[in-house]
Amino acid sequence: MIKLEKISKVYRTREIETLALDNINFYVKEGEFISVMGPSGCGKSTLLNIIGLLDEPDNGKIELDNLPVTSYEDKKTARMRNQLVGFIFQSFHLIKELNVYDNVELPLIYRNMPASERKLRVTESLEKVGLTNRMSHYPSQLSGGQCQRAAIARAVSGNPKIILADEPTGNLDSKIGHEVVSILADLNSKGTTIVMVTHDDMLAKSTHRIVRLFDGRLVG
Amino acid sequence: MIKNYFKIFLKVALQNKLFTFLSLFGISLTIMFVMIFSMTISKITTGSGPEKDLKDVVFCDRIKTKQTIKGKANNGYSVSSCGRRVSETYLKKTKSADIVSMYTGAMPWEFILDGKYQKRAQNQTDAEYWELFDYKFLSGRPYTYEEVTNGANLAVITKSLKELFFGNEENVLGKIIHYTSLDLIITGVVEDPSKSAQNAVGDLYFPYTLLKNTEAPDDYMGGFTLAFKGKDTKQFKAISDETHEMIARLDAADTSRAIFLSGPLTQLGKMMRGYGDPEEYSKGSTLFKFLLFALAFILLPAVNLMALNFARIHERGEEIAVRKSFGAASRVLRSQFLFENILMTLTGGVIGIILSFLVVDLLGNSLSLNVNYFSNVPLTFSFNYLVFAASLIACLIFGLLSGYLPAIRLSRMKPALYLKGGEL
Ligand SMILES: Nc1ncnc2c1ncn2[C@@H]1O[C@H](COP(=O)(O)OP(=O)(O)OP(=O)(O)O)[C@@H](O)[C@H]1O
Ligand SMILES: [Mg+2]
Repeated sequence: MIKLEKISKVYRTREIETLALDNINFYVKEGEFISVMGPSGCGKSTLLNIIGLLDEPDNGKIELDNLPVTSYEDKKTARMRNQLVGFIFQSFHLIKELNVYDNVELPLIYRNMPASERKLRVTESLEKVGLTNRMSHYPSQLSGGQCQRAAIARAVSGNPKIILADEPTGNLDSKIGHEVVSILADLNSKGTTIVMVTHDDMLAKSTHRIVRLFDGRLVG
Repeated sequence: MIKNYFKIFLKVALQNKLFTFLSLFGISLTIMFVMIFSMTISKITTGSGPEKDLKDVVFCDRIKTKQTIKGKANNGYSVSSCGRRVSETYLKKTKSADIVSMYTGAMPWEFILDGKYQKRAQNQTDAEYWELFDYKFLSGRPYTYEEVTNGANLAVITKSLKELFFGNEENVLGKIIHYTSLDLIITGVVEDPSKSAQNAVGDLYFPYTLLKNTEAPDDYMGGFTLAFKGKDTKQFKAISDETHEMIARLDAADTSRAIFLSGPLTQLGKMMRGYGDPEEYSKGSTLFKFLLFALAFILLPAVNLMALNFARIHERGEEIAVRKSFGAASRVLRSQFLFENILMTLTGGVIGIILSFLVVDLLGNSLSLNVNYFSNVPLTFSFNYLVFAASLIACLIFGLLSGYLPAIRLSRMKPALYLKGGEL
């Protein structure tokens, strides 16, 4: 489902050059749920951004769902993100001006989809995360756990094959964190491929496989 | 999608009240000024009464002479209305116009009546004046061409002047009215000209030939305005060419001075030139300056809004990054931002139009227009669809102008920068 070959990414600022990813080969099969672990600054977020086509690698090849990414033309990557990928972030990144319903609808408004179908999909997604009773709330009116559940609903409303979650439990206490991961596990059991960055060993162990990064390299 | 944009627009506008205020302020004010300005122009230029139909009329009301003594810098110059001799013997004979009239326009006339100080206006005209301007005669008739040539002691007065001198008396034709040392016989009574008139002004009218010409034989300066009427505006060019040719001949014959004729100008042109140097105006620099000023005035709020937009790009960073992650292409984000911006400017425009209503309604009387020496006309709201449409189109252009560059910058932002794991 995800295939990275010889991917390198260098960040250059005026003072220093950081090799965030160093010649990485990374494969994830369809239906896998894997954890990415590693110390801070080792390149985990960079890896997810590159998988999600939010960032362009300096070298290497990417394939998502057997489609090689040949160009980073804005329109093409936008379309691939929209169809294939759902993002979940540590600090939720819900749009604060929009209520839960509108936030969850976000991936769908960038498709040609009739309003009735969008409504159906949004309601379905909110059901999956148990948030139907909060759909007209604004992010500021939700708890952290509810925010992350709304964010998960947004990530799945477009029915993506891949979910990329960057420390989805990082801002939540461990009980809520477990709930969130169990929602992800549930989605995974229905076929969604998931890559999750986490610092939590317990959570990582509950996934199929753990990949460790160190200084931009895969280890173990 | 549009609904989504609209919600965002409202939320962002309401959450950042200061920004919203600053954005709307400039645009509303500009649109308000443009509306009021256009009302003023239309009030002055859409003539009423005798000036009802001036669209085929052009005016010459300024002559400029400059010293051209050889070997010396050109310093001395004078500008004034046209002299009587140059008007009578040259300009009035312009063949390209159907009617040419010369008149002094409203001149102050002060007198004491029954112990009371009065200030009225007198206007010395030719006979063509009555043909060119559309006065409504309540009784009697205008003085004729022959009467003007012969210097007949005749006068046309307005209804209000009649009432001042004769009260309720019905028939005043043949009665005498005194102007300085002249005893004038009333031949006609006309309805008072509209207060906003600029040429057809006056309470007392009499043939200019009644006063002796005191001009020096080589003088070009005087107190006359010439009005040329054609069948349509196409005749203006010929009129202009012919008058300028006449003046050019005078200019060539005069060794010590350069002579320059301003115009012929339309009513609006005359107004725009005002008391500015007619020579400069004819070169178009006044018009150019005015247009430049107007452009700057109109562009100012757009530039202001653009600066505000640039300053605020980072505030929108997170939202843009999120939208990008979920599949918004840059082009889509640009249209979202432009859409919001145009909504903002249109809101500003509508507020401006409402403000102009209010201002004119509340302050109309104190905003009276000093259209000529004798009358102040209160400004009234005149809804001009053309200006209304132009204002809204201007707002649309503001929106595009001030939104376009910021939108490009915004849509190119790297989403990864705004999606860092930690709290923002
Ligand atoms: N935009 C950037 N410009 C310059 N350097 C960057 C940029 N983004 C990341 N880096 C550097 O690249 C390296 C990897 O960063 P990354 O965010 O992938 O780490 P991480 O593993 O996600 O860390 P954490 O666990 O703290 O989130 C770091 O050294 C970071 O300083
Ligand atoms: Mg990270």
